[in-house]
Amino acid sequence: MRPVYVRGSAVSVGWADRSRSLTDLIFDCVRAALGDADVTAAELGAVVLAAHDLVDGRGLTSMVTAQAAAAYLKDETRLAEDGATAFVLGDARVRSGSVDTCLVAGWGRASEMPVDEVSHALFEPFTTRPLAMTEIAVSGMRAALSLATYPDYDRHRAALAARRKDRPPARTPGAAWPLRTGELPVWSDVVAAVVLTSRPTPVRVLGVGMSTEPFEIGDRDLLALPALHAAGGQALAAAGHVIGDADVLELDGLTAFDEALAAEAVGAADRGAGMALLAEADRLNPDGGGAAGYCDPAMGLVRISRARERLLRGGRLALATGSSVVAAQTQAAVVLGKETAWSR
Amino acid sequence: MEPLTIEGHWNFDYTYYAGESASRFFDELRHRRIMGSTCPDCGRILVPARGFCDTCFTATTDWVQVGDEGTLETFTILSTSFPGLPEPPLVVGYVMLDDASTAVLNFVHGIDLSDVDAAGRRLLTRPRVRVAFRDECEGRITDFSFVLEPA
Repeated sequence: MRPVYVRGSAVSVGWADRSRSLTDLIFDCVRAALGDADVTAAELGAVVLAAHDLVDGRGLTSMVTAQAAAAYLKDETRLAEDGATAFVLGDARVRSGSVDTCLVAGWGRASEMPVDEVSHALFEPFTTRPLAMTEIAVSGMRAALSLATYPDYDRHRAALAARRKDRPPARTPGAAWPLRTGELPVWSDVVAAVVLTSRPTPVRVLGVGMSTEPFEIGDRDLLALPALHAAGGQALAAAGHVIGDADVLELDGLTAFDEALAAEAVGAADRGAGMALLAEADRLNPDGGGAAGYCDPAMGLVRISRARERLLRGGRLALATGSSVVAAQTQAAVVLGKETAWSR
Repeated sequence: MEPLTIEGHWNFDYTYYAGESASRFFDELRHRRIMGSTCPDCGRILVPARGFCDTCFTATTDWVQVGDEGTLETFTILSTSFPGLPEPPLVVGYVMLDDASTAVLNFVHGIDLSDVDAAGRRLLTRPRVRVAFRDECEGRITDFSFVLEPA
């Protein structure tokens, strides 16, 4: 197996720019990532894409969008999964030696779709869709369970909401008590792209992990997030590190409660202390997490890109995660290390 | 030049096959029984009843009727309106019915929602609820809901 490095990345976050089509947004961001990596499209050995037909409102959306992601005449794989999962597959392509350079891209344009209705359509038709379930409804249930179980969550949520108060309320999902506006995602048009390579760069992929929970939400441990715990543990073990080594945490979560619980699931905070860690913000999602712009299935790749940026600004070791629909059923985790971390 | 936008709409008719286990679960609802299926390996009683335990990857065996009371494990109060569904605000929650090993989702009634915060605080106490069936059951998950027991 060969080592894998992150050579370039780019993220674009916007809203309803009518002068740009979805393919324009993808093209712009992918070109920026290639430019950041100093790689041409012709040099790419493979392309892995994360996109959802329902999110894009286009049947087999990657048929329309892949060429905007530099996939013309390329070894291309399309995933209806979060971008972090696409990253794991891209890592495998390079690590195995099948290609030298791989582009991973993911996107979602919330301004083009009825987000709550699409979220509702994701649920199965027999036992959950007739009961008004959405992704944000599950997050509301996680939040309620957190408040009932961890008294500290209520104490720290106000401090967090104050940090995230500057947000456009029209771009947040329908309310799901106990969630408040400052704890909700801000729907956005998001594209993220990462270039992976076998040639050494300052940021190396040290470990990856993936895991999946049951579909039935009534079977799940909504607080412990066992799939994220497993994925994070796999990635850290592969990297030969423990969570305490990670000074950079970029954890995907639909709401502030999801981000806080994610911190606990990966071991970065004790049970019940995740919201306090998030409110401090320096180590975990300092850009504002979901409040800085959110649209599935790009968010895991956004978190990975932000982790890389923080490593290049002085961080040492990063854990980044991405969670998929439905309601964070599948989780992917990535450990990135700056040269000083992995060359010891 | 004014940028062009066009409206789009998806409206397809699907036919979903419930399969043997779910069909039986929904048929039991017509008779006002909530059924679970037992995993022979882990011993859990899975509700709604299903054909296999995904934790053990084993086919379930015995079917058992679970209790008509339980504990509201978690919930949310929704304000989003969807076509064909009751008008919000709605309380939906997962209830661990007595004798069951997994929680089942449904609407929760019997709480005053004129003050949503007060209602939420009451529900955070994980109250006991009971199952209430509709007068006319038609073999759907909406044949029943949960009703809050008096405090």
